[in-house]
Amino acid sequence: MAVYVYSITSKTHPLRLDDLHGVGEPPGRLRTVTAGALCAVVSDAPEDLRAKRRDVLAHQEVQERLMADEAVLPLRFGMTAENDEAVRAVLEDGAGEYQEQLRNLEGVTEYNLKVSWEEEALLRRILEESQQARELNAATRSGSGSPEMSLALGELVAEEAEARHQALAAGIVEALRPYARDDRSSSPGGSDFLNVSFLVQEDQEEMFLATEISLANQLGEECQFRLRGPLPPYSFV
Amino acid sequence: MTVVPQGGGSVSRGSTSSLYDVLDLILDRGLVIDVFIRVSLVGIEILKIDARIVVASVDTYLRFAEACNRLDLESGSKQPSQLTDLVGEITEGGAEGKSKGALTGAVEAVKDSLTGNGEEEDEEEDEGEDEYEENEEDSQEEPEYEAEPRQQSRRRPARKASRRQRE
Repeated sequence: MAVYVYSITSKTHPLRLDDLHGVGEPPGRLRTVTAGALCAVVSDAPEDLRAKRRDVLAHQEVQERLMADEAVLPLRFGMTAENDEAVRAVLEDGAGEYQEQLRNLEGVTEYNLKVSWEEEALLRRILEESQQARELNAATRSGSGSPEMSLALGELVAEEAEARHQALAAGIVEALRPYARDDRSSSPGGSDFLNVSFLVQEDQEEMFLATEISLANQLGEECQFRLRGPLPPYSFV
Repeated sequence: MTVVPQGGGSVSRGSTSSLYDVLDLILDRGLVIDVFIRVSLVGIEILKIDARIVVASVDTYLRFAEACNRLDLESGSKQPSQLTDLVGEITEGGAEGKSKGALTGAVEAVKDSLTGNGEEEDEEEDEGEDEYEENEEDSQEEPEYEAEPRQQSRRRPARKASRRQRE
């Protein structure tokens, strides 16, 4: 029977999973497959697994519970193996690598930061700072401007917005980087201009959070900061 | 042993993360093991397509132009000077090297005045939970993330607006 695989941990992990359940409807029962010094948390895989909220949440809750006690290697959502034997074989083949990763991730967690810039505030800023944009805006809003001028205004503003996004994104990452062991940016979604994950060590956590808060306070009039964590180290496995 | 799963009640208490904001991590990061099969998840690619639209298009330009035209510039000159200085320096010429200095300097200045951060962080978490509740209601009707990613992204400004009001 196919099994859904959540995470890899050390065999010594306390695995307090009794009150949690797995993916599927009815929810699968969580159990473990062990091999050598490693352990995989699995459940029977449902027939028609999809990215339903319930299942994504179940996946995430298993990781969060496990990371509270010891290091965990979270798998990407949706990974299934043919059967327990296949899981065991993977644990055996990759034992050295997984054990090293678990050692490296002991005492660190991931924080994910997404930042958006309120559009109106950004446009206002651009108009304040660019005379050319002000002139084009004045001409086009009074109705005397040509469609080409509207297009030119839009293009100018888009470029200015992009430049400001990039510069501020770089500035935010630079400010937080001293308190993180590693960081990884990825493409922002929606109205965000920054989507970055940091790998933060326990003893740096306080400084990391303090710095993030001070950034959010300084930029809070115009930018919305959404920091999530501590998270299992999804971005660093 | 009872078989009634009270999942909704125990879910996410103590969790500091709003599921919506970490979806991309859960679905798109994490360890991939080659010999395992990744269940075909329709819609995960759609989530990626929802990434920020490239700004270089006529539609975007016109939208920006209209948004600028609509701005009431007279009422907008109450910017806090601190932010203006900060962002002004950072964005000047788009110089990344310079931005580092400006931001780090500002951060250090503020850092000194920060004694504890527990309370503010708690606030952040509470808001995360509110958001979570909203999502949960949504999920009753469209339980799959792939359902309408566009709608999700459109909902965000509204949520942001309500958050700003609360502040």
